[in-house]
Amino acid sequence: MTDKIVFNVIQVIVVMAFAPLIKGIGTRLKENVQSKRGPSILQPYRDIWKLFHKDEVVSEHSSWIFRFTPYVVFVTPIFVALLIPVLTGYPLFFAFMGDMLGGGFILALGGFFATLAAIDTGNPYGPMGASRTRMVGFLAEPVFMIVFFTVSFVAGSTIPYIVQKHWVTPLANLFQPSHILMMLAFLMLIIAESGRIPVDNPTGHFELAMIDESKGLEYSGTGAALMKWGGAMKFFVLCCIFLNVLVAPWGLAQGVQYWEVLLAVPLILIKISIFVLVLVAIESSLAKLRLFRITEFLGAAFATSVAAMITDLFLM
Amino acid sequence: MELIYILLISIVAAALSLIPVGRRFAPGVTILGSLAVFILSLRTALATTTGGEVIAVRDYLSCDSFSALILLLVAFVGLTAAIFSWGYIATTVEATDDKKIRRYYNRFNLFLLSMLAVPIFAQIALVWIAVELTTLLSVFLVSFESTPEALEAAWKYAVLTCMGASLALVGILLLCCGLSLSSEAAFTWAGLVEASPKMSPALLYTAFLFILIGFGTKAGLVPMHTWLPDAHSQAPSPICAILSGIETTAVLYCIMRLLPMFHGSAASYARKWFVIFGLISAGVAAFLLIQAKDYKRLFAFSTVEHMGIILVAAGLGGYAAQFGAMLQIVSHTVTKTLCFFAAGATLMATGTRNIAAIRGLIRISPVAAISLMVGGLGIAGAPPFAVFLSEFSILKAGIMNGQYLVIGLLALFIGVAFFGIMQPINRMVFGSAEIIMMDERALLFGRSIMPGRNILPLTCLIALIVTIVPVILFGIYLPEQLSQLLHHAAASLGRM
Amino acid sequence: MSGQDLLLPLLTKLNALAGGVFLISAFGLVGIRQMLTCLRIYVFQSLLLAISAVILGYHHASIHLFVVAALTILTKVIIIPWVLRQAVGYESYAKREISQAINIPTSLLLAVAITIFAYYIAGPLLDAIGAGVFEKVNLPIGMASLLIGAYTVTVRGEAVPQLLGILAMENGAFFAGISIAPNLPLIAELAAAFYVLIIVLVVGLLAMKIHKTIAKTAVGEMMALREE
Repeated sequence: MTDKIVFNVIQVIVVMAFAPLIKGIGTRLKENVQSKRGPSILQPYRDIWKLFHKDEVVSEHSSWIFRFTPYVVFVTPIFVALLIPVLTGYPLFFAFMGDMLGGGFILALGGFFATLAAIDTGNPYGPMGASRTRMVGFLAEPVFMIVFFTVSFVAGSTIPYIVQKHWVTPLANLFQPSHILMMLAFLMLIIAESGRIPVDNPTGHFELAMIDESKGLEYSGTGAALMKWGGAMKFFVLCCIFLNVLVAPWGLAQGVQYWEVLLAVPLILIKISIFVLVLVAIESSLAKLRLFRITEFLGAAFATSVAAMITDLFLM
Repeated sequence: MELIYILLISIVAAALSLIPVGRRFAPGVTILGSLAVFILSLRTALATTTGGEVIAVRDYLSCDSFSALILLLVAFVGLTAAIFSWGYIATTVEATDDKKIRRYYNRFNLFLLSMLAVPIFAQIALVWIAVELTTLLSVFLVSFESTPEALEAAWKYAVLTCMGASLALVGILLLCCGLSLSSEAAFTWAGLVEASPKMSPALLYTAFLFILIGFGTKAGLVPMHTWLPDAHSQAPSPICAILSGIETTAVLYCIMRLLPMFHGSAASYARKWFVIFGLISAGVAAFLLIQAKDYKRLFAFSTVEHMGIILVAAGLGGYAAQFGAMLQIVSHTVTKTLCFFAAGATLMATGTRNIAAIRGLIRISPVAAISLMVGGLGIAGAPPFAVFLSEFSILKAGIMNGQYLVIGLLALFIGVAFFGIMQPINRMVFGSAEIIMMDERALLFGRSIMPGRNILPLTCLIALIVTIVPVILFGIYLPEQLSQLLHHAAASLGRM
Repeated sequence: MSGQDLLLPLLTKLNALAGGVFLISAFGLVGIRQMLTCLRIYVFQSLLLAISAVILGYHHASIHLFVVAALTILTKVIIIPWVLRQAVGYESYAKREISQAINIPTSLLLAVAITIFAYYIAGPLLDAIGAGVFEKVNLPIGMASLLIGAYTVTVRGEAVPQLLGILAMENGAFFAGISIAPNLPLIAELAAAFYVLIIVLVVGLLAMKIHKTIAKTAVGEMMALREE
């Protein structure tokens, strides 16, 4: 019993500790692909450290939302990390607090506050980015819902641990057409939610074209550090959901020994790194979509997820 | 054996027409080839008047009376079109462009080959391929004149009919599946009729609908007919004659062959669909006829209408209506051929396709005017021409059967079409002699066209005469053997 | 035989996988704007057809289907793209965007609706023919691809995508056909393969002619022959 609580805490620490590492790996790989040397993979840690030691400048026209948001953005992925399979294949102590839908809503809560904060300061670029983020978000929500519905429908439950068992036990289930379609839809969703090409350029700093980066534009000092860290954790958590539930539900600790759980840590890091490699490949070969073409991209994701539901509904 | 010879002769003729030996060789070879094919088809048709079958290769190449009828009609139209082409192409293609002429005859022969294959093949998958080939081999004939409008027509033709063919393919595959599940019969028309009582109704209905819509696109049924007026008016006139006269009918033959598969209550389901599609086609075509501005388009719409009438007749049920459908097939084919030859003659005489631009054709070119008048009256259904007899027998059969609503609508549509056709033709043939405007198409002909000075080429004249004869003859008297053939063909549609 | 029994679930799932991706590629044809990508998607779809034919051929132990797979690869994966590239000028491919009558998100939604319709039609058919696992995958997906291909032809405004729509319809029809009619006489399937080749030759040449005459292949804009 206490073991499970400890494992839960270890899970959260892993998420907190290694999220910036994954971000650093992603940046470095992308630069390498473009034949540049790229920053060190530990650079995000140094950035966060530096930001924590700087003064914070807060606009006098902003309200409590502005000050409150970095904490929300930091804490919501941690909550979700309590619910999903990160290290273990069996449910932990807090796992029954919420299911995947709940996790999705909590992540959306963080995004919602970030959008509000961007409008709060009165800076013109903030609301521009915020409205674009909302457009992408509002189109992505139905896809989220449909994907989660399909996954739950196929696996018979909404708790991620149970869903994950469904793909693993008869191995042939991995090849079901609905599964493939769902993976594709979820991949498009991750690209949209974490603001990667082809939806948004994460390295661009041109304010008129920013979508996701704009939420952190006004922050400095502690606030900026928390927003950066929170963003990295959100990406890490989304990857965990994608990989551990849908794509590669192996390598998770099955027993209750400490060493098994600790062994799962490097395995999850390797899995996420491979996924980051795939994302880098996608990013380096596509161009950013024009703003209103994003609707087509998300429309395709929607169509794919509905097709997944249809093929499953009728094939069984 | 004749069936194999028929196919072989066409292939040989196609190959021979490519040989560059003077201007007369290619058309000559084509005419001789189609004459031989016609004689062989006549023999085949005569062999089936007793109700038997002509079998060349069991389960692959065979003809019963219905297919022999279609075969005979294909050969007839092919022969007359070949004769007409000689004069028409010689006039309308530049004197120095021998290669184009040879290409025309090559494609003509290949097209004729594919059309002959449709009734000869008994294996249904091969029939589908033959129907597809008729489209593909005629696309370049439709776009022969290479104007933007001709290319547009050819494109729509190719795209829409290929779409229909894919739909029909699914229907045919469903039938094959049903057949193999229920009996050991071969995958031919006869085999399907034999096995159909054991096939599940859901399968039959779905396959039937797919094939009806798929092949119906090619036969010109509304609402899939949009390519037909374009393609059948932009092609050179002899090709239009083949397309309108017999190609749509041959595809309708494939659809009608599905009818005997249904028995009992299912049969009324199939017939209902036939009547619905047929009435819609006839009605829409009759009303669209009225606003046609191009006389070849006028005739093309009339084709859609007649396809509708034939389908309605097949759908009415009962021996008399089915006989009427067969008679309508024959009369429509010969009359439509005449119409398009007349249109070709008119085009050669006046240089324009526009109805409003022609007046007093009778003074410009009497031959064209007379044939246009006879053709127009014939296709509109005036006595004493062939179409009148067949339409009358269909209407009579319907009234005897008690289907008053259907017959009433059909008679209305025929009436509307009558006025729609006769009014422009009247205006074109009579009136003060002038051509109000020649359009650019006249320049395509490569020589100046002076009204009143054009002598129609001899071969065109011959073709016109050869086609007028049956139009008038069949309105008065039906030869004994033909009547027998029609009788057996009607019987093969199934008893009701 | 026991070897085949063990293999059967795997074969079933592989076939289902091929079917799922086949459906995605049908959606892709509707939803992608660039012409070259559409062509590549079509080639990919034909490859999936060949894979499914191989799986079914192994299952039914029928050499027919292996021949069909080989023919498919030969004609649709190798020859047709080559022909299309030769027949239609480079300018048509350099254009990255295709005009459409209905915009892409709506088209995708319609494609989903069409898929539902196809499954709805296929339901009673599957019961009627006593379907096994393979038919349950192939028949509805084949029909969906057929209808989606028809929809593509209707909305696209360029020559080559319309042609690709027709070819996709063929693919769908064959995808359904290899499962429900695996014992069609070989001559029919041979002839059907060459028929596809002829379609491409004919339509490709026609497109070339159109391009030569009016210097573009935007057939959606050719509206001279209409009833006004």
